Amino acid sequence: MIGADVMSGVRLPKRKKISIGKKISIYNKPKLVYIPLISSNDQNITVLVKKDDYVFKGSVIGRRKGNFKMPIHSSVSGKVLDFEEHTYLNGEKVKCVVIENDFKEKMEVRRTPNTVINKYSKEEFIDILLNRGIVGLGGAVFPTYAKYDVKSKINTLIVNAVECEPYITADFMLFKEKTEEILEAIDAILEINNIDEAIIATKKSNTVLNKLLTNFLGTYLKIKLVNVPNIYPMGWERDLVKKVKKVTYNKYPIEKGIVVSNVSTIFSIYEALKLEKPVIERVVTFTGEMLKEPQNILVKIGTPVSEVIESIGGYKRNKELVFVAGGPMMGVALPSDDLVVSAGLNCVLVLHKIKPTTLTECMRCGKCIKVCPAKICPVLIKDSVNHIDDLEDYRADQCIECGLCSYICPANINIRQFVRIGKKKLNERK
Amino acid sequence: MKEYNNQMGPYLKHNNSTTKMMINLLITLLPIILFSFYKNGILPYMNGNTNFIGLFYPLIFIGVAGVTTFLVETLYAKLFLKNRYDSISVFIKTSYGYIPGIFLGLILPINTPLSILILGSIVASLVGKMLFGGFGNNIFNPALIGALFITSAYSLVIANNGGYLNSFELDTISSATPLSNASAMTEIGSYETLVEPYGSLSDFFIGTIPGAVGETSAFLCLIGFIFLAFTKTIKWVIPVVYVLTVFVITCLIGNLNGLGLWFPLFHILSGGLMFGAVFMATDPVTSPTTPVGQVIYGLFLGILTVLFRFLTPYPEGVLTSILTMNMLVFIIDKIGAKSRLKFYHAVLPFLAAWLIIVAMGFTIGNKYKDTEVKVDPNYNILSSDKEGSTTTYVVTQGGYHGNIKAEIIIKDNKVTSINILEISDDFYPKVESANYIDELLEKQDNLEGVDTVSGATVTSSSLKKMLINTLKDYEEKNEK
Repeated sequence: MIGADVMSGVRLPKRKKISIGKKISIYNKPKLVYIPLISSNDQNITVLVKKDDYVFKGSVIGRRKGNFKMPIHSSVSGKVLDFEEHTYLNGEKVKCVVIENDFKEKMEVRRTPNTVINKYSKEEFIDILLNRGIVGLGGAVFPTYAKYDVKSKINTLIVNAVECEPYITADFMLFKEKTEEILEAIDAILEINNIDEAIIATKKSNTVLNKLLTNFLGTYLKIKLVNVPNIYPMGWERDLVKKVKKVTYNKYPIEKGIVVSNVSTIFSIYEALKLEKPVIERVVTFTGEMLKEPQNILVKIGTPVSEVIESIGGYKRNKELVFVAGGPMMGVALPSDDLVVSAGLNCVLVLHKIKPTTLTECMRCGKCIKVCPAKICPVLIKDSVNHIDDLEDYRADQCIECGLCSYICPANINIRQFVRIGKKKLNERK
Repeated sequence: MKEYNNQMGPYLKHNNSTTKMMINLLITLLPIILFSFYKNGILPYMNGNTNFIGLFYPLIFIGVAGVTTFLVETLYAKLFLKNRYDSISVFIKTSYGYIPGIFLGLILPINTPLSILILGSIVASLVGKMLFGGFGNNIFNPALIGALFITSAYSLVIANNGGYLNSFELDTISSATPLSNASAMTEIGSYETLVEPYGSLSDFFIGTIPGAVGETSAFLCLIGFIFLAFTKTIKWVIPVVYVLTVFVITCLIGNLNGLGLWFPLFHILSGGLMFGAVFMATDPVTSPTTPVGQVIYGLFLGILTVLFRFLTPYPEGVLTSILTMNMLVFIIDKIGAKSRLKFYHAVLPFLAAWLIIVAMGFTIGNKYKDTEVKVDPNYNILSSDKEGSTTTYVVTQGGYHGNIKAEIIIKDNKVTSINILEISDDFYPKVESANYIDELLEKQDNLEGVDTVSGATVTSSSLKKMLINTLKDYEEKNEK
């Protein structure tokens, strides 16, 4: 009762209405794209092009070194101009390939769309996932093929359509507009991988999506819809599995025969199976109180975000802005709008600067402990940042950096930062 | 490229704040302060026991303590903490220096001389809070440190000044608080001896009983608790577990001695337990932060309080229990943190606590059962003459003021007359006009069931006891 069975979390304000007013728009005419040479946070990339090379839309321009040989594709056809550094969504500068768009959208090989997408063997399926660069589009950018390339039986596929972070609506809009395609893809994945059932997880309060899905699900006997409470971070893999399937696991859900995939990732799998299309574009939510026209936009990988914002009307004011890559809880505020679109960017959030409030000392109220979904004690970790043995006792490595401890603290202390330091110290020790 | 503010996330913030929590606390204390003004100021003034200054004295008392701790803290910060705060006004806003003082004022006896109160406030502020590093860093509850200092060093001075009773109570009730009255008795006591001298249990609940300045009203503490728990201001688990533990142990003790539900209720409602549980034990800085830790804390607080009340003669059991557990919060939080991930870490402390609770209930309960009910020490037989079937007793019984001397004649195993020879009780006329003596004579076979005279409770109760003790002696001597 008091222990690990109760799920912790907080009901956050949704703030989703401002970006769901219109359908997903498209911005696909960037003059230059800057393809980040980074794959799943790893910058060890073999570059396969050089200056003045001509590349096709969708051709491989780099490949990750190491165990997961994920390719990086060009999102436009044109000439390679240079290599430059631009800001990635984690706030750091990353080397990028600068390609001049010739606006011809030329692909190397023209293929007709496949009529059915479930006639692949499992090996072919894994191969497609790998070579089309499918990664987790929920933000974690984990190489998707590695999730499915397992010897043990997969019993359940959980489709994560929860999108628990406030402001972000990319998954919702995509699911709403491409429902049939996504369901077809889920069905195909079940068949190809011999999975028994699929469970689509949505928030209880997401009435539009729930109604839409119940209309379609009649035709798919193996796909079920399960509602989860509107609590952040309900979309966190561990809590979602616990809520939907009532099991816990050590490191990966496959230990209990479960695979969790984000709904936008499923759509990119659909495009890969149907059109052999690699990951070269994604839906990004451009939102926040300081944007004139918040909306969801389909953008190419490598597009400069400042260009996109200008095309939709720009900012309400130009001073005292906070420009966040990602959502309000897990996103990072950047010093300028130099950001380029990458597979992991699900949201660009522009807010008014939050006034710094006077901090009091920690009064040990214990609220951070009550809300922590990872069941660790942030305040105690904060006190022992300099004692590495205590950090190990308090399991600082379990932190998922959801930000709820900082959110709830009455003394306005940024506790998450302390836990991050503790987590880093523990990881360095290993 | 525009330059933006790259402050650290998260970029959403809950609207709770330390200021709001402190305001909630002060709101809850307001009715308690007003009640203490009523009980210790207005009542004595209306009864003519004190003058105009005495009317406002409770407020002055609390105010002096609050102002002293505030000034001591601010002075200390100005002298020694210059580099920690941007300006002294920031310190004042974030250190809440007056809170320990207000609490100290509420938990001390009203007859504490102001000079000692000021000294205690200085100790509370310095030793209890600032020397540890100020707000957020102290290990012990500062108000309790001040109270411990005062009651250890100056208890005699305070007792000579009148102790815990205010001038109105000194006039109307016998000179002891309910718990000192209870601990003075060697046997476990009864409803008449423990509760009735102060009224009924509802008086205990409302708080019109002797005690510290603001600790007595269990009712106001209860509604304060509901408000604070509802607004998520305090760690509500601690008072619930604390009070429940004391209730369970005293229930066991009472049950083993054939006492009803009133016994555990008496113990919960006296000794400032409700006040200590809701306000002192839940002080956020000095109590555990983990949920499991808070349960363990509450369990052992209850155990210690019962231990101090029944097995030691020292007063202030609640104060000592909380200060003792303050020392152990660090270990308790470690257990709490570990048990959050793996619950088995909490099993051992819980089992230990429950074993101790049951063991304490049985040992203390049996200890009281074994002591024979001694003869009432306030009762004395001056002479007893037997002539044939008539025995004439001349006895004294402690009354409201001094002793009652009476002659009791028992003829043919029946009390035939009670003659009051000496009595200095002002309330005796009331007893006389109620024909109480006749009632006692009439119902001499079932004296326990005879009610006392309202408005002259102690006097009539003493007369009843006098007759019961005499009859007991008579029965023993005649092997009836």
